[in-house]
Amino acid sequence: MKKLVAYITSTYPEKSFSIDLALALGENGVDSIELGVPFSDPVADGPVIEKANHLALDSGFKFTDLLDISEAVAKKVDTLWMGYFNSFYQQNLDLLIPKASALGVSGLIIPDLPHEETHKYSELFSSNNVANISFVAPTDSNKRIKEVITDSTKFIYLVAYAGITGSGQSEDLQKIITDIREYTTTPTYVGFGVNAKTAKDKVKNVDGVIVGSAYIDILLKDSLSYTQKIEQCSALSLEIKSKINE
Amino acid sequence: MQEQYLPSASNFDPDTLGHFGIFGGRYVPETLMPALLDLEKEYEKIRFDKDFWDEVHYYLKDYVGRPSPLYFAKNISDELGAKIYLKREDLNHTGAHKVNNVIAQGLMAKRLGMKKVIAETGAGQHGVATATICALLDLECEIFMGAKDVARQELNVFRMKLLGAKVNAVESGSRTLKDAMNDAIRHWVTNARDTFYIIGTVAGPHPYPMMVRDFQAIIGYEARAQILEKENRLPDHVIACIGGGSNAIGMFQHFIEDKEVECIGIEAGGHGIETDKHGCSLEKGRPGVLHGQMSYLLQDEDGQILEAHSISAGLDYPGIGPEHAFHKDNGTISYDHVTDDEAMDAFVWLSQKEGIIPAFESAHAIAHLKKMPNIKNKLVIVNVSGRGDKDMIQAQDILKDKFL
Repeated sequence: MKKLVAYITSTYPEKSFSIDLALALGENGVDSIELGVPFSDPVADGPVIEKANHLALDSGFKFTDLLDISEAVAKKVDTLWMGYFNSFYQQNLDLLIPKASALGVSGLIIPDLPHEETHKYSELFSSNNVANISFVAPTDSNKRIKEVITDSTKFIYLVAYAGITGSGQSEDLQKIITDIREYTTTPTYVGFGVNAKTAKDKVKNVDGVIVGSAYIDILLKDSLSYTQKIEQCSALSLEIKSKINE
Repeated sequence: MQEQYLPSASNFDPDTLGHFGIFGGRYVPETLMPALLDLEKEYEKIRFDKDFWDEVHYYLKDYVGRPSPLYFAKNISDELGAKIYLKREDLNHTGAHKVNNVIAQGLMAKRLGMKKVIAETGAGQHGVATATICALLDLECEIFMGAKDVARQELNVFRMKLLGAKVNAVESGSRTLKDAMNDAIRHWVTNARDTFYIIGTVAGPHPYPMMVRDFQAIIGYEARAQILEKENRLPDHVIACIGGGSNAIGMFQHFIEDKEVECIGIEAGGHGIETDKHGCSLEKGRPGVLHGQMSYLLQDEDGQILEAHSISAGLDYPGIGPEHAFHKDNGTISYDHVTDDEAMDAFVWLSQKEGIIPAFESAHAIAHLKKMPNIKNKLVIVNVSGRGDKDMIQAQDILKDKFL
């Protein structure tokens, strides 16, 4: 069964909603939840996720909210944190990673922490059994792929195209997938630009997909009630889950 | 004639991963890592390469007008009872020090076979310099500028367009330099394969801070020889303003290893550092990661980046180059700040005393002269990083009651 990872922006539009949404998604085909940590300057993200980040901050997101949501969710659905390095760095990683582990958070996804900057933290992550997800980009050479995935755990985040989240771009990834398989058996999930339309194509020869902007598009619709938002996100999950496993 | 400038290896070069102590590094999406590694390799090739520097020098001399003079400012010297020399980067083509760096990076873009160039800009000086060099070297140019800066630097926006550049007004966040850099990075991530990003200051991911410092260090290289020729000794103090910190590090580079010289970097004090409207990343910030580097940042307790404030768009940035962060902790450079009001006073003072209208940014460095308690009989160099032409509309508005 191929896997579905769902990104949601923590506390957008509010904390209790994030908990309800995460739990509902867990019951509707989502294998792992990525709890996004809102950040003022999300440079890897497109306008949709950036907007949700800023709205969450405007309505008062604090890092402790992430801990509260994780506490309610992580024991029931596999949960990872997705955020920019500064958000984690300011919490002091030596304290934060054990805390993540105690909450049952299985990994961190940090798009602006490349391989070169992770060394000093690898022991911290592994001793706490928390994964630091490795990224592979379509701009990477075979040599670089070998280097960046040496200590990959849980899954590899393959960025679907050179760009930011939620854009309509697409690139042929088959060569790069072959390169990854050459060096590791860690499952590979594709993220960026995955939605109900593209999921089937993007999942070709990989083990799962990561979906973000497609969910946030629904959350940003002001005309929908909270219940409707959760229903639509759940329906989207079931649709994508079935498409990637066709 | 002084021998042609060539960068030299410094005690303060970063380690192989671009770290100045804990600062610097490369905190970027993986998509950009191959481009940064290629750039680093290319930079290693040209850093001490005479052919490359011959070409840079051809332009610096005949196009920019280097060397820039070191001018003895007699009138303000008399008033202060000190000897004040001004390094006249304001006389460079395009009006500021920015062009020194841009020429070298433009030539690197050519060497790497890149036809497209992007740049972020605050005050517009770096945007204008980049647009200029793109016109000169036949490169396609796209500039990212915060919408707030687009409004307050209208003339520079027109200059960029006149020079053939496309200017994108960035509407997100605080709509200033920080946000312009976010969007420049987003554009770069999307076009990493064929686009060269000309960063305008000693910030961003490795190798930019080191590379831009080397490109700007011609300022200090010239100033050192000029002061030795005129005064036969090294200065007591060397002063420069700091936004990202490139004119300062460029000036300090050739004085920093001399124990008898005090290098002083001046941050934007805005409305005062006791308020929340200033640009004093070093004085009021703490280490964090933004725009590809670890450095001092203005941020809240959760690491959300705060808006900076300065009357000068070029200093209106919540971060600072990582090498400055290192020198602050290391004690190699002294840092202080000057408020908007003090900078405006100095802007008028230098204009009326010496007939030199400095950029608002540079006016911060000038203003510090009046705040130094023991300046009597001292020999001081101030870097006039840019000229005030770009600030005329804003100055007219601020000073309208003063000059009726």
